[in-house]
Amino acid sequence: MNPITRRRLLASAGAGAAGIGLGGATGYLVGHETAEAQSDGTGSVPFCGEHQAGIDTPAQDRLHFAAFDLVTENPADLRELLREWSQAAAEMTAGDMIGDANDVELAPPDDTGETVGLLPSRLTVTIGFGPSLFERRGLGLQRKRPAALRDIPPLPGDELSEEEGGGDICVQACSDDPQVAFHAVRNLARIGRGTVVMRWSQLGFGRTSSTSRGQETPRNLMGFKDGTANIRAEDTDAMRRFVWVGDDGNPGWMRGGSYMVTRRIRMLLEVWDRSALEDQEQTIGRHKYSGAALGESSEFEPLDLDATQKGQPTIPVDAHVRLASSSANAGERILRRGYSFTDGVDESLGELEAGLFFICFQRDPERQFVAIQRQLGASDALGEYIKHVSSAIFAVPPGAARGGYVGETLLS
Amino acid sequence: MNRFPVRAALIFAAAGLLALFAAACGSGEDAPKGAKTMSFELTDAGCVPNSAKAPAGGLTFEVENAGTSKVTELEVLDGDTVLGEVENLSDGISGSFSLTLEQGEYTLYCPGGDDEKGTLTIAGKLQTENSPQVEGAISQYRDYLEKNTAELVTSTEPFVAAVEAGDVKKAQSLYAAARIPYERIEPVAESFGDLDPRIDARENDVPDSEFGGFHRIEKALWVEDTTAGMAPVAKQLLIDVKDLQRKVKTVELQAVQIANGANELLGEVSASKITGEEERYSHIDLVDFEANVEGAEAAFEAVEPLLSDTDPKLAKEIEAQFGKVYASLKPYRRGDGFVSYTELTQADTRKLAQEIDALAELLSQVPAQIVRE
Repeated sequence: MNPITRRRLLASAGAGAAGIGLGGATGYLVGHETAEAQSDGTGSVPFCGEHQAGIDTPAQDRLHFAAFDLVTENPADLRELLREWSQAAAEMTAGDMIGDANDVELAPPDDTGETVGLLPSRLTVTIGFGPSLFERRGLGLQRKRPAALRDIPPLPGDELSEEEGGGDICVQACSDDPQVAFHAVRNLARIGRGTVVMRWSQLGFGRTSSTSRGQETPRNLMGFKDGTANIRAEDTDAMRRFVWVGDDGNPGWMRGGSYMVTRRIRMLLEVWDRSALEDQEQTIGRHKYSGAALGESSEFEPLDLDATQKGQPTIPVDAHVRLASSSANAGERILRRGYSFTDGVDESLGELEAGLFFICFQRDPERQFVAIQRQLGASDALGEYIKHVSSAIFAVPPGAARGGYVGETLLS
Repeated sequence: MNRFPVRAALIFAAAGLLALFAAACGSGEDAPKGAKTMSFELTDAGCVPNSAKAPAGGLTFEVENAGTSKVTELEVLDGDTVLGEVENLSDGISGSFSLTLEQGEYTLYCPGGDDEKGTLTIAGKLQTENSPQVEGAISQYRDYLEKNTAELVTSTEPFVAAVEAGDVKKAQSLYAAARIPYERIEPVAESFGDLDPRIDARENDVPDSEFGGFHRIEKALWVEDTTAGMAPVAKQLLIDVKDLQRKVKTVELQAVQIANGANELLGEVSASKITGEEERYSHIDLVDFEANVEGAEAAFEAVEPLLSDTDPKLAKEIEAQFGKVYASLKPYRRGDGFVSYTELTQADTRKLAQEIDALAELLSQVPAQIVRE
């Protein structure tokens, strides 16, 4: 039996395909052999591997992120869910439809269908476990909880809303096509019905970090290049040192994984837009258009934190880049992988509800994200223009082995 | 939409068979058992031939585009209803679909051709070969339908009498009881043309001049606090529910449609009960909610024996999830009824909605499993 596929539809122009009408959809190459770096839609990123994809994958343009809570405490249900999710994710990332019953007239199709005719678009699906998962007694995972997986403590600049944030399990779907990312979350939510319910979700419309040397540094909504000093996937030493979990103090099931922190950061854009260019540049510590650090002329020249001009530090003491730099943070760094968002209008202000959905990966959240954020929050000049409105942390296990599933190291 | 067509006894929903076998397009080995094959070509002229005869029963339509860019599809219609079709056949491409047709005249439709419409004449008696199990399912559900339409009439009578007598309080107290049997079988009622809107339309669903039935009276009782002008509406309501009771006795039932009806009932819960839209004046939405779930359960129980061979695990999961849905309603039960919808918080409706979603996701898999039978 030849199941209907996103690519093969034209060939099976029989009754089953009736009405879908896909002109010229055959003939392009899709598959694992295509380079990951291809962001024209044809690239696909394998789901299985040592690490989960979506961390060191060159950041895609779009995000749909969702956090779920379990409605069962039966470990077999969780295992089944992760198996089914992994299977579906592998199919979707390869550019295939989910399942095999997509042309049975009397049954709802396994795949919801909105990516039919769309390319794989470098979809990645990254699954993580929140601290609350390990507190569900029925699952019996209390003793497997990593010491590093603790709720982020209150931090300066927090204005967290109770409804958002947290969650037992998260799914980060990234793709160069927004509909492909949406489709992934929608279908995983559907598969999970009866086992998990969605707690919150976030769309991101544009990447704010580059995570590969091949990528141009994008701009965030403040108009500044963001992530110039980010860790690049090609820098495998830095990835090992700052991102991938090793043996030290971590349970074995996390080896090859990472810890993810998400923060929904609302930008007060109306206020920002009224500040003078010079103020904006002093706040960030970089030139707005070139991305160069203040006092430098090109983007990738290193920060000179000791430089002075007329007796004053060239990069102000409260500039964002100074406080966030690794030299101000005991050499620590994080892999940033955030996305710009907008969610309509802030009802109470009549202003754009927009900002940065910040995502970062690291080996040790306390020593990395939390320490850096403490350092920033206390005196960061940027603090005047932003507030953190949601927070979450997840342990992202290693990738699925062939024939295995994400989370197998934890649950088997 | 006619979900339970009275006339066209398309045994095992023609479209369903078509889809099951479409995946194996071209192999032919999966055509319905004993189906006769009819071959058609698409040309500039339209369907060729554009007049055909066949005996009643399973038919496979093999259609090939013989070199036209004007015509790319062939449909078989009963009146205005498309029973089966194959589309997007460009030059040289062929496709097929299967139908089970009973005696009668059908239209062959090849849009774009010089002569778009042709005739398909089906003669002879249709051999219905339902297994005893399928017959059992149908007869069990028919009993349920008839029991509930009878109850609908007996509970509508005193309600109508109270409205006609101008007794607002009494009419209010009898309203919920009359709604329950209707909400249990609503998908079947919906198959009788405008009978469902006459009985159950909500304001804005129909032009103001046609707004009658239960919800018109509901509005009078709860918003206007009077029965003034409602006597003719009540009288018509009783005529309509009696009409429904008569009509269900002649409805053709198929196992697949019974299973689909269960899904539709849960769709009703999600779309209008959890949102409080159905009973927007009396706020007895949870009463309807439970009646919809009961109706879905009765439909499921009727077809459940057909699942026990194909997917016993699914049947077990569905039973368990029905239990969870009833349990989720329990905290809101008060006496014979439920708390007013207005007392529910967002957290309450969210929990209810999630249990319904989980059940509906499972139930939606049933119809295909039955066809596999």
